[in-house]
Amino acid sequence: MSQKYNPITWRTKMKKTSQICQSKLPDNTALKQQQLPAYRLQLSATGVLSGFFATGAFCLGVGIILILSAKSIKEIEIKYTKICANCAELREDAINFDKECTCSIPFYLSETMQGNVYLYYKLYGFYQNLYRYILSRSNSQLVGTDLKVRLYLIWYNTPFFKDQSHNGTPIAPCGAIANSIFNDTIILSYNLNSSIHMEVPMLRSGITWWTDKYVKFRNPSAINLSSAFTGTAKPPYWSKPVYELDLEDTENNGFLNDDFIVWMRTAAFPTFKKLYRRLNRVQYFIEGLPAGNYSFNITYNFPVTRFKGEKSVVLSTLTWSGGSSLFLGLAYTVTGSSLPGRNYRLSNNC
Amino acid sequence: MFRRSFNRFCAGEEKRVGTRTVFVGNHPVSETEAYIAQRFCDNRIVSSKYTLWNFLPKNLFEQFRRIANFYFLIIFLVQVTVDTPTSPVTSGLPLFFVITVTAIKQGYEDWLRHRADNEVNKSTVYIIENAKRVRKESEKIKVGDVVEVQADETFPCDLILLSSCTSDGTCYVTTASLDGESNCKTHYAVRDTIALCTAESIDTLRAAIECEQPQPDLYKFVGRINIYSNSLEAVARSLGPENLLLKGATLKNTKKIYGVAVYTGMETKMALNYQGKSQKRSAVEKSINAFLIVYLFILLAKAAVCTTLKYVWQSTPYNDEPWYNQKTQKERETLKVLKMFTDFLSFMVLFNFIIPVSMYVTVEMQKFLGSFFISWDKDFYDEEINEGALVNTSDLNEELGQVDYIFTDKTGTLTENSMEFIECCIDGHKYKGVAPETDGLSQTDGPLTYFDKADKNREELFLRALCLCHTVEVKTSDAVDGPPESAELTYMSSSPDEIALVKGAKKYGFTFVGIRNGHMRVENQRKEIEVLQDQAAETIEALHAAGLKVWVLTGDKMETAKSTCYACRLFQTSTELLELTTKTIEESERKEDRLHELLIEYRKKLLHDFPKSTRSLKKAWTEHQEYGLIIDGSTLSLILNSSQDSSSNNYKSIFLQICMKCTAVLCCRMAPLQKAQIVRMVKNLKGSPITLSIGDGANDVSMILESHVGIGIKGKEGRQAARNSDYAVPKFKHLKKLLLAHGHLYYVRIAHLVQYFFYKNLCFILPQFLYQFFCGFSQQPLYDAAYLTMYNICFTSLPILAYSLLEQHINIDTLASDPRLYMKISDNAMLQLGPFLYWTFLAAFEGTVFFFGTYFLFQTSSLEENAKVYGNWTFGTIVFTVLVFTVTLKLALDTRFWTWINHFVIWGSLAFYVFFSFFWGGIIWPFLKQQRMYFVFAQMLSSVSTWLAIVLLIFISLFPEILLIVLKNVRRRSARRNLSCKRASDSLSARPSVRPLLLRTFSDESNIL
Repeated sequence: MSQKYNPITWRTKMKKTSQICQSKLPDNTALKQQQLPAYRLQLSATGVLSGFFATGAFCLGVGIILILSAKSIKEIEIKYTKICANCAELREDAINFDKECTCSIPFYLSETMQGNVYLYYKLYGFYQNLYRYILSRSNSQLVGTDLKVRLYLIWYNTPFFKDQSHNGTPIAPCGAIANSIFNDTIILSYNLNSSIHMEVPMLRSGITWWTDKYVKFRNPSAINLSSAFTGTAKPPYWSKPVYELDLEDTENNGFLNDDFIVWMRTAAFPTFKKLYRRLNRVQYFIEGLPAGNYSFNITYNFPVTRFKGEKSVVLSTLTWSGGSSLFLGLAYTVTGSSLPGRNYRLSNNC
Repeated sequence: MFRRSFNRFCAGEEKRVGTRTVFVGNHPVSETEAYIAQRFCDNRIVSSKYTLWNFLPKNLFEQFRRIANFYFLIIFLVQVTVDTPTSPVTSGLPLFFVITVTAIKQGYEDWLRHRADNEVNKSTVYIIENAKRVRKESEKIKVGDVVEVQADETFPCDLILLSSCTSDGTCYVTTASLDGESNCKTHYAVRDTIALCTAESIDTLRAAIECEQPQPDLYKFVGRINIYSNSLEAVARSLGPENLLLKGATLKNTKKIYGVAVYTGMETKMALNYQGKSQKRSAVEKSINAFLIVYLFILLAKAAVCTTLKYVWQSTPYNDEPWYNQKTQKERETLKVLKMFTDFLSFMVLFNFIIPVSMYVTVEMQKFLGSFFISWDKDFYDEEINEGALVNTSDLNEELGQVDYIFTDKTGTLTENSMEFIECCIDGHKYKGVAPETDGLSQTDGPLTYFDKADKNREELFLRALCLCHTVEVKTSDAVDGPPESAELTYMSSSPDEIALVKGAKKYGFTFVGIRNGHMRVENQRKEIEVLQDQAAETIEALHAAGLKVWVLTGDKMETAKSTCYACRLFQTSTELLELTTKTIEESERKEDRLHELLIEYRKKLLHDFPKSTRSLKKAWTEHQEYGLIIDGSTLSLILNSSQDSSSNNYKSIFLQICMKCTAVLCCRMAPLQKAQIVRMVKNLKGSPITLSIGDGANDVSMILESHVGIGIKGKEGRQAARNSDYAVPKFKHLKKLLLAHGHLYYVRIAHLVQYFFYKNLCFILPQFLYQFFCGFSQQPLYDAAYLTMYNICFTSLPILAYSLLEQHINIDTLASDPRLYMKISDNAMLQLGPFLYWTFLAAFEGTVFFFGTYFLFQTSSLEENAKVYGNWTFGTIVFTVLVFTVTLKLALDTRFWTWINHFVIWGSLAFYVFFSFFWGGIIWPFLKQQRMYFVFAQMLSSVSTWLAIVLLIFISLFPEILLIVLKNVRRRSARRNLSCKRASDSLSARPSVRPLLLRTFSDESNIL
């Protein structure tokens, strides 16, 4: 071995290496001789054709099913930035943050929305996926262990971590995501007739991932919530502290607030929907939303015109495959129908 | 590179004026002259690169001179300093791994060099000091020391021979390790010092040697020795190369000698001639670097585009700083130019995976592990020498599949290095197959002998001539002048045919005993048959069929070499031979003119015969008249080194043109250095063809080192060639499997590996690039950091490694038996622009499908029946899942040879990915600041739509590939069917019906023209 690295060949002493009659015949193993038993793919025309055909049929079937189920979905979207133009204008200026502005949007539901109905809000042009924005949160704070965000020294100089006006009191929940929470209130009311307006019962629970609600978000432990949050300040854009988000339901208060949790899961694209409420199927609404006159009563807080964005409310039913997008169904159908075509061409070639 | 600088250094050395004066025994020559000890370097040889102290900085410096390493270092530093979306660990860890492994490997190699150096430097020598024989370490020898060397020892430094144990002051030396000439050479001592052959007497010598400063030419030495005897008058004697004993040479047949050291250590001629084994780089490696530059360009372009668009996008204030994402004070204050620069760097870091550091690791591992298959191959095992193939470097495996020119030695490579006296022809009478050793040739039995015989005197004369006309040396186990016990006589010669003849003569009673003064010269005919190596002819034929050009470079005479070439079918009987030898040239008075004439004539002939396109040359061979060229050493030097005017340059180019058009070239009477010269010349041809040299002797070392791939035959002529080669095999016939099967497979494997690596990383990074358009160019990574890090290391590395070690797209036996398959991969076919673009577009297509497929999927309100909404991490995870599966399945589609290892690694990798994703998302990791992946993967899989989308996207991505495979398969089958149909129809229909059609189209064409 060392001879290999001795480029100057002064060593002319011939080593009697092969004196020891040790056989240097390489092992005759399958691996060493590159003769491992192996399977070679042999494509037969019939195999390929039937494979294509089966795949095509499968895709076509799935595609049609998907399209049909997507078609069965009822969905209504109402953009309310322009409808509530005066509110939008008011929110243009941050000074008016404490002025309340409400807005009512009547609409007519021509068909009954059968089954579970979900209420979403949708934002246009809101970038929840900005790099610095996504980073701007503290998970250890949200599980209640590091409420004062001591672990986040490097973040101390970034906005929304320390309250600048109150000697740098740590903010809870800190960060840009929490600070910019969607804070419109949307109430759907059903106008049974011109005189009876009833609020459609909505559930505010069960709209988050289970693991978020029960593992990832935890309130700091204390006798009551407000004492748990002492020594922290509310986020600057919030009107009330986190422990007052839902005073009626302790399971929905503080960091455990469903709306808050939903907001904290940052959306992938600047146009996104987030689940707001789901229909409580009782009384009139046991079958879903009956056809008729409705109106959305919106407390308009969230400014979108400042970044040239828009807001809308969406009412939708769902099926086993989720929402009403035709994309998946169409993609399957196109793929499926293109396969037999190629089949034909191939068989011609053969 | 290293060699060039070294040559420059040597050239400077040569120009250094002046001489050195050496005082023999370091005694002052006279009391009157003051003795000034001159400073010369000591006798230490240093071939190692590092010492313990400088290893770390020097090694790191050398490693970071590699463009790839430097690039990754820069990326790492950027990640550390600039606030970037990816963690420095992502690129730092693989880089650290690569650097460490390489450093350990190089450190180990240098340690071995140190050990080898030490072995030489610490070896024992005997020096005469104060009339006593003193034992010393070799490195302690100083210039001027008188050294005693015994028989079969190597000289520890360059010595001037003072005296030997023989009365005539001669000694025999073999310089096999220096220039490959294995015969003994006689060296002489100066007359005046011959008598001083004891330690006491040599110590009385007062002499000074004046000689030139060290220079690398082995055969040049000029000096003078001034001997001061009792009288003050100095006797001056001239010294030449015949007085100089070179370090590295071995003393033979002489009991001992005394010599005075004139050059020591790194100043010896041998050390000056040392060419470090320069790093050979394969064509594939060059392609990798070319790809690297293309991808670097893509990377820079991406980063530049993103940076530009970012600032275009941010030119509107609400995009620059929306109310929900305010800047820090620091951000507001930094200069815009600086911010743009850091943004650019951040984008570079974000997309840096496009140039994968892991590829270098994988390529290294593939080469290292893959080279074992050569040494493991039992087909390369030779029972005679009880050894298999030897792999000295793993860097050139794939180069074996790319060879264009083969330069082969004749003796010992094509032929067995043993020769026997079989038949002869005396005075027109043929004698053959002489079996019994009775009385000379006076036997008549055997069917092939002739009845009439030559005159008895003639026979005797013939045998005497055989016995005397040669340069054979005799070696006996006893003293040189001892009784000639015939059984103990060993003959030694530079050419084995001489030995064969002497042995033949001995068989018939004329035993060569040894050399006394005086020589006898008798001319007669002689004939011997060379034993061709097993399957040499078949191998050459196969290599020809594979489109390789075989050149035979030999030191032999033209006639012998030519007959060998015919015997091994290098020349066919139909081959037209063009001769450029002293014989053909000496007809004319002025050699140059005649040479010029011949060159022009041959060129005309060849250019006329061949179509202009050189690409189709390989295929054209089979159809055209074949040409062979014979050239000898002196003519070659005439062509290469004749007068330095422009015409010589012209000769060379004409000569090369002729060579390129010839199927086979035979160069005879070549000096070792000329062999290397030819190889270098061909190497530098247009299109820089890949050269391979194969030889067995020390005289082949130069060409083995010079060519792209050097192959040594583990023959009888020592181990020099095998030791200096890149690969060593026992026999010439092994070349066939080595090139056609191993070379082909290695090339295909590594080419696929390289393409696949760039492909999978483009697929990987393209969605991340596209995502920037949807996140305000904010450098938000699409994938989680763990996925970014693990993608190349864990999820997709092992399947390609297994593929690149085990793949046999064509069966090994088929490859070895069908040489034409070798042509398919010639000229680096799999790494040319076409395949590269194919892979790149495939990657771009797939990356686009991944991203936009998932993008459209996300346009719906919810993917789950319970209306829960997914965020950006789920989006990235879906894309990533599709990516990992597609990329792995793509490899599965490419795999033609499914061993259990492939199955294990491919399905194992996918399973590992799924397992890891569950695991990674299943725990709140205490060391993570953000639990972004928590339950993302599991939640994602709870949606039926996601499942359907993932399956569909994988299928769509792979669809072009599947279609291509199927079409290829079908076409091959239909081609086969068509062929059989054609054959059938050919036999049925009359041939003439085809010909007029062809003629018609021909004439039509000519009309148009």
